[in-house]
Amino acid sequence: QLDHGYALHAAAKDCLSSIASQDVQVLTERPRAFFYTNESDPAKHTEHHEGRHYSIPLEELKAVFPHGLPSRFQQQIKTFNEAFVMVRKPALELFTYLKSSNLAHPAVRYVIYGEKGTGKTMTLCHVVHYCARQGWLVLHIPDAHLWVKNCRELMQSSYNKDRLDQPLQASSWLKNFKTSNEHFLKEIKTQKKYVWGKRESTEEGRPLGEVVEQGLARVRNASDAVGVVLKELKQQCGEGSFPLLVAVDGVNALWGRTTLKKEDKSPVSPEELTLVYNLRKMMMNDWNGGAIVATLSQTGSLFKPSSAYLPQELLGKEGFDALDPFVPIPVPNYSPREFESCYGYYLDRKWLQHEKGQT
Amino acid sequence: LCRLMQVRWSRYNPSYLEPEVNKELYQKPLEELSEEEKEKLELKALQPIKAAPPSLSSSVFHDPMISKFTNMMMKDGNKVLARSLMAQTLEAIKRKQLEKYHKAPEDEKETIECNPYVIFHQALKNCQPIIGLSNITRGGKTYQVPVPLKDNRKRFLAMKWLITECRENKHRRTMMPEKLSQELLQAFNNEGPIIKKKHMLHKMAEANRAYAHFRWW
Repeated sequence: QLDHGYALHAAAKDCLSSIASQDVQVLTERPRAFFYTNESDPAKHTEHHEGRHYSIPLEELKAVFPHGLPSRFQQQIKTFNEAFVMVRKPALELFTYLKSSNLAHPAVRYVIYGEKGTGKTMTLCHVVHYCARQGWLVLHIPDAHLWVKNCRELMQSSYNKDRLDQPLQASSWLKNFKTSNEHFLKEIKTQKKYVWGKRESTEEGRPLGEVVEQGLARVRNASDAVGVVLKELKQQCGEGSFPLLVAVDGVNALWGRTTLKKEDKSPVSPEELTLVYNLRKMMMNDWNGGAIVATLSQTGSLFKPSSAYLPQELLGKEGFDALDPFVPIPVPNYSPREFESCYGYYLDRKWLQHEKGQT
Repeated sequence: LCRLMQVRWSRYNPSYLEPEVNKELYQKPLEELSEEEKEKLELKALQPIKAAPPSLSSSVFHDPMISKFTNMMMKDGNKVLARSLMAQTLEAIKRKQLEKYHKAPEDEKETIECNPYVIFHQALKNCQPIIGLSNITRGGKTYQVPVPLKDNRKRFLAMKWLITECRENKHRRTMMPEKLSQELLQAFNNEGPIIKKKHMLHKMAEANRAYAHFRWW
């Protein structure tokens, strides 16, 4: 929720309008100021906590978010030496839905949309933190746009001749997945035998961690390893041993166009990439035992105008039909209260240095 | 008759006055003004006023030194790029200082200066040479004569040295905000290559003291 701060950094420097004069927040009996809260467990956040910042300890941050935080927020964490996230209404709404969701029913899809810079990625990270605390298995894809553009190495997939592999992106994602969900990888067992090459194969009943190790060791098979992981998780979470959260940022990349080209200069469509193909199967709601939370993003999207932010515009016809029964969650800009709270936080952390900026 | 008005060498009539940018002056009610200020206001209402240049602004965050520095950094008239580089430099300085501030123990926190504007002004002041050298030709030979510098010249030299130092003596791939913020922080602490250059200039002037009487102004 603090990634709206990048617009605010420039604003604090150049021109801050004087909204601050009208509504002055009354200091409550809390020992710290009104924009902090001591509640560091997202499960206990209610409307009472709305507009306040809660802190995530840095070790937990490394374990839960090896990838996925917006880059501006990461810079801010480095500068202030701590991570404070604001509690906002869309996130609280999602928590109520997730708490009351029935795991026996098929997975419900939630799509977070909003204009540029309003806090969609931060809402997603808040939800991921909540689910990680609750003990869910979190499948967090930081930015699907990274999979459809700027790929240096495209190889033909050994499993299926039509598709193309992306070893670099797949291996980096596998590495981050391993750090975030270590204990789950030891418990979940594969249900089929997978053959990677002439001499390498994974037997039935081995822990999933071995598949991940295989993908990391043999970079050529990394995309297939990702596909195997996704398939196993989809099959097994229906049995109810662990709830699964699929969190995808920039989901409109899966149904748009790519900027990649094959060796004969013909354009690649997203279905021809193994990673995108497998991820699309996860986004279908034919499995039960979890939830799917997705964010639309215009900033990384390809061939879309910069004023587009509604689901219909960004997903296109194909994407909209694929995601069709979904719960839309709009994320608005900061309300005056949230603005006050963010402003107070920056003043407290000494981020606003100019004397005139501190009226 | 040419259809276009030749603008480059045209000059305002001397009766034109400079525009007044200070907002607070206009917001004061009439009674609080002193006699001279009332007279000045009446004069301004009657006399013609020059057009305000686009770089002059009435914002509280406007700083003439910073705009001069951005103009010097600008290449090919790309003011947008120069301004964004300046903003990124100031942000980089603030981030570095804030990181140090938040990691320092309580008693050292007050010694660390975090305001990038203060650092910029202090660094420029530290880089300004007091005395310069000028070439004077006597009897066929040119001598380097130590000469006092005007304020504008000192500021110009300090800014010029900063920018050339960043453009030339650094690794090719580092970004300008990073290089500039490093140089400004070093100059703020009175260390670094620009301060050394200033000291070299002072030493040369001291060494050529004997020729000081060649100066006639």
